[in-house]
Amino acid sequence: MSRLSEGTLQRAIAFLAALGIGVAAYIAIADANSGSPVCLGGGSGCETVARSSWSHLAGVNIAVFGVIGYALLLATAFFADDLARFAGFALALAGFGYSVFLTYVELFKIEATCQWCLASAVLMTVLFALCAARLIVFAGVPEAPEASPRRA
Amino acid sequence: MSQTDRRSRLLRLAAGAAFLALAAVLVLIVITAAGSGDGGDTNIEDKAAVAKLLDGIPQRQMTLGDPKAPVELIEFGDLQCPVCAAYSKEVLPEIMETQVRKGAVKVDFRNLTIIGPESAGAGAAALAAGEQGRGWSFVDLFYRNQGDENSGYADNDAFLRAIAKAAGVPNLSKWDAERAEMTPKVEETTQEATNLGFDGTPSFAIKGAQTGGIKLLGFPESAGELEAAIEEAR
Repeated sequence: MSRLSEGTLQRAIAFLAALGIGVAAYIAIADANSGSPVCLGGGSGCETVARSSWSHLAGVNIAVFGVIGYALLLATAFFADDLARFAGFALALAGFGYSVFLTYVELFKIEATCQWCLASAVLMTVLFALCAARLIVFAGVPEAPEASPRRA
Repeated sequence: MSQTDRRSRLLRLAAGAAFLALAAVLVLIVITAAGSGDGGDTNIEDKAAVAKLLDGIPQRQMTLGDPKAPVELIEFGDLQCPVCAAYSKEVLPEIMETQVRKGAVKVDFRNLTIIGPESAGAGAAALAAGEQGRGWSFVDLFYRNQGDENSGYADNDAFLRAIAKAAGVPNLSKWDAERAEMTPKVEETTQEATNLGFDGTPSFAIKGAQTGGIKLLGFPESAGELEAAIEEAR
């Protein structure tokens, strides 16, 4: 596979991570304003999930951790070395695993689904697939400046 | 280290991390499913005790007992009220066993919200459960899982949903959709109680052949007092 292909992967990762930051930031801001995200399709699922005890970890809305995670993933997309590849994979793996757990909680404990949380889970799943592909295909390949999304 | 060695080492590390992550997610799910996680709002107590207490007694809207029972006992209560909870646990079960179960009395729960604004949301949720024949199960379970007054739990969606689920409400989506519509009914019975002169919970009234309409009982302090009032009303 060519180095340009890693650049394509990096751009896709950057784009999806930026989208993830937007989604997580919206949830976090809605919570900070003492409200809850508005489900675009109607219903009270977003409010139910936002008001549940699962929405916070140690008093902090989990969307805040989401913003941090997506931002770090975005940062890994700007480098084309093994550290960035592995860090991206590890971050996406942790995010994907936690998303799976939260989706389980929504479906079977809270019994309500929030489309913003599901959107984040889908983004994290695709990011995990892209970061895993990037690591598997390009691990050990020396850094190539032209692979950076800033220069591709 | 050669490029191949480095690649091989990284991929082994990634595989190990993936395995650990998978194990961590599975452990989290198993712990959560067992109810030992931090989901206190969904950990409803006394579900079996309430199911046993009400087993076999008809429930229709907020009325417990045979709809044709000759005497109707009306409880005006606030779901956040700790005295109501104690009464529901210590006094009413005897009435249920000696009077309601045999069809001599039916008991009607009506909201009298005096503790705070959260009581209205809780009361509306109970009425929506009543629409599906689980009103008393909801009320009894709510009482047995009460939190501190006006601490934010009473109209919390996750808590109410957990109560509704534990009460056996068959269609939770319908319950969820209908409870907002029930708030006017909560206000209506609160006004009714105020008009009757009640300003504390629980307050009781009774209707029967001998009462000539509704008779106010106030706060009978024991099952014996309630039984005497039922006897007089019959």
